[in-house]
Amino acid sequence: MTTVATASPIEYPSRHDERWRYAPHDLLGRLSFGPPSASTGKLPGPIGAQIPALHGPLIVIVNGVVDELCSNLTALPDGLRLSTLADASTDPAVPVAAHFNHDVDAEADVFMALNTTFGVDGAFVDVAEGQQLDAPIHIVDVAIPDETTNTSCSGVVIHLGTGSSATIIETRLGGSDAFGGSNTRTTITLDDHSTLEHIVLQDMPSTQVHLGRVEVIQQAGSTLRARSFNLGAIYGRLAYDVHLAGAGAQTELSGLYHGAGEQTLDQQITVIHTARDCTSRQSYRGVLDDESAGVFNGGIDVRPGADGTDAEQHNDNLLLSNRAEANTQPRLEILADDVACKHGATVGQLDANAMYYLRTRGIPAADARRLLVNAFAAQAVDDIGIDAVRTWIRGRLGSADA
Amino acid sequence: MLQVDDLTASIGGTPILRGLDLDVGAGEVHAIMGPNGSGKSTFAHALAGRDGYEIGGAATLNEVDLLDMEPEARAAAGVFVGFQYPVEIPGVNHMYFLRTALNSVRRARGETEIGARDFLAVAQEAMDLVEMKQDFLHRAVNSGFSGGEKKRNEILQMAVMQPRLAVLDETDSGLDIDALRIVASGVNALRSPERSMIVITHYQRLLEYIKPDFVHVLVDGRIVKSGDHTLALHLEDHGYADFVNHDLDAPDRPLSGAAT
Ligand SMILES: Nc1ncnc2c1ncn2[C@@H]1O[C@H](COP(=O)(O)OP(=O)(O)OP(=O)(O)O)[C@@H](O)[C@H]1O
Ligand SMILES: [Mg+2]
Repeated sequence: MTTVATASPIEYPSRHDERWRYAPHDLLGRLSFGPPSASTGKLPGPIGAQIPALHGPLIVIVNGVVDELCSNLTALPDGLRLSTLADASTDPAVPVAAHFNHDVDAEADVFMALNTTFGVDGAFVDVAEGQQLDAPIHIVDVAIPDETTNTSCSGVVIHLGTGSSATIIETRLGGSDAFGGSNTRTTITLDDHSTLEHIVLQDMPSTQVHLGRVEVIQQAGSTLRARSFNLGAIYGRLAYDVHLAGAGAQTELSGLYHGAGEQTLDQQITVIHTARDCTSRQSYRGVLDDESAGVFNGGIDVRPGADGTDAEQHNDNLLLSNRAEANTQPRLEILADDVACKHGATVGQLDANAMYYLRTRGIPAADARRLLVNAFAAQAVDDIGIDAVRTWIRGRLGSADA
Repeated sequence: MLQVDDLTASIGGTPILRGLDLDVGAGEVHAIMGPNGSGKSTFAHALAGRDGYEIGGAATLNEVDLLDMEPEARAAAGVFVGFQYPVEIPGVNHMYFLRTALNSVRRARGETEIGARDFLAVAQEAMDLVEMKQDFLHRAVNSGFSGGEKKRNEILQMAVMQPRLAVLDETDSGLDIDALRIVASGVNALRSPERSMIVITHYQRLLEYIKPDFVHVLVDGRIVKSGDHTLALHLEDHGYADFVNHDLDAPDRPLSGAAT
C-alpha cells in the first residue's frame, strides 16, 4: 500500500492550491494506492443494474483491471481497435505512449503520478482514419475498495484518426459502501477533422471519492463535444484540460453536477488555445441541495499566436438549500489578438413565483420543486442523442416521466 | 359556495385587505372592480394561498376552510386563480405541466389519473375553446408567450382543471378585440350551476360579454358597494370618485373622470 504522502516526489496538493481549494483534504489523505491485484478484475453482479443499457462495444474495468468476461470486444466494426490498455501497451505495433504523454501543460499532481504508476490497465480506443463509428463505445470503471488498496487507478487512451468520428461513454461506479474511490485518467488525441462525442457519467457511492481527469489534444478542424454528469461520490472531481493545438478546432464542454447531503462536486476545466481561429465553449450547471458544495473553476488560456479565438464560458447554479454553496471561479488569460471571450456565472434559488404558480395548479410542493430543478438541468440532458444515456440520467435525477 | 367573512391581509404590517365580505353562490358570476392598488389581486392570492401575507378572517368553499390549506390543497378543493401576471416557466413542457396539474388534483381527490393519450383529448378540447394552436402545447409554460397568449392560457388551464371556484384576475387586460371575445366565450362556456366565478376587471367591455350576476366595488381593501351589472356602467361613466376618499389620496385634485 502506498499512501499519498509517500507515493511520489510531487507534493500532495495544498489547501492554498486554487485547484484543490474545496477538496476534502482529510479524505484525500485516507486514500491508499497500490498495484491492482489480478483477482479483483471481476464485476459484482448487482452493479450491472446501475450501468446504462448500451448495446455495443463495452469494456468493464474493475479495480483497475479489465473484466474480459463482462466486456464485449467481439464483432467490432471495421476501423475500430478496442482493447485493454494492458494489451495495447505490450503490442509494439500500437503507439500507446504517443497518445499518452500529452504536452498539454496540464498541471501534474500527485494523483496523476499515482495513476501513471498504478493505472496500467484500462481501455485503448483507436479509430482509423476516415471511419465513422455509429455505435457508442462504452467504458465502465468500477471501484471496489479493499483493505490494502482502497483506491483504484485506471487509464483510458483514445485516438481518433484524421476525419474519423466516434461516441465514447465513460461510466464510473463504485461497488461497495466502504471508503475508497477511483482515480481515472483519460487521454484523448483528436487528429485533423475528427469528431468525438465524449460523455462521462460519474455516480460513485456517497462514501467514495472520484478523481477523474481528462486530457485532450485537438488538431486542426477537429471537434470535441464533452459532457459530464458529476452526480455521485462524497467528493467527485472531474478535471478537463483541453489543448486546442490545430487551427479551427472546436471544443464544446458542458456538464451537470447535482449534489445533495455532504457531497462536494468539483469541476476543474481548462481550455488552452494555442492555434488560430479555434472555438471553445464551457457550459456547466450545478444543482446543490442540503449541505452540498459545487465548484466550477474554469480557465480560458489564450496563448500568444492564438489569434481569432472565440471562447465562452458559462456557469449557472441553483441552490436548493441555504446550507448549500456554489463556488465559481473564472480564470481568463488572453495573450493573443482579435479574441472574442465571454464569461458569466450565476447563483440562484428556485423561482418562488414559479413554485407558487405550479402549486396553485394543484402540483404538490415536492413535485413542483422537482419539475423546476429538472427544467434547470434539462439543458444538459435534452440534447444527448443516445436514448439509453438520457434515460439513465433522467432516472438518476428522478425525472424519468418527464 | 364561497363565503368570505371579514378577510384581512397585510404585508409586513401594512394592511391591504381590511375586512372583506363576499358571498358567491353556486353557479353565480361576480365581478369585482376597483382602482389600481385597491387589493383585488391580493384578494385573489389570499384565496389561492400565496404566502407572505398575515391573514385574518375566514374564507370557506362549500364549508371547507381554505385559509389553513397549502395552495395545492386549495386547488384540489376546487380553487383556480387566473393570474393577472401569469408566470413564465422555462424548461417545463406545457403539455406535461397541464397533465401533471390535472393528475395531481385527481390524485389528491382519490380519482384515477389520466394517461398521456387520454389527456391529449382533454387538452385538445381546451385548446379549441381558447382557439390556441397545437404548438403551444409543445412549448415551455408561458415562456415567450405574448401578453394576450398568456391570458388565453389561463383560460385554457381553467378549462383543463374544471374548478369549482374560478377567480380570474384581469384576464381581459391587454387582449385584442378578438382575444377578448375568445376569453369571454371561454368563460361563458365554462359557466355551470356547480361552478362559481369571480371576474376581476377594469372594463365594462368584458362584462358585456359575461353578464355578471353581481358587481362589487373594492376600494382600500373593502367592498364598498355592490349591485347588479348596471353598477359597472355607472363606474364606466363616473370612475371611482364616489367611492374613493379624496382626502387620503390627492387632497387638491378631484378624482372624478380618472377612469376615462
Ligand atoms: N409584496 C408586497 N409588498 C408591499 N406591498 C404590496 C405587496 N404586494 C402588494 N402590495 C400593495 O398592496 C396594494 C394592493 O395591491 P394589489 O396588487 O392587490 O392591487 P390591485 O387592486 O390588484 O391593483 P391593479 O388594479 O393595479 O392590479 C398595492 O398598494 C400594492 O402596492
Ligand atoms: Mg391586480
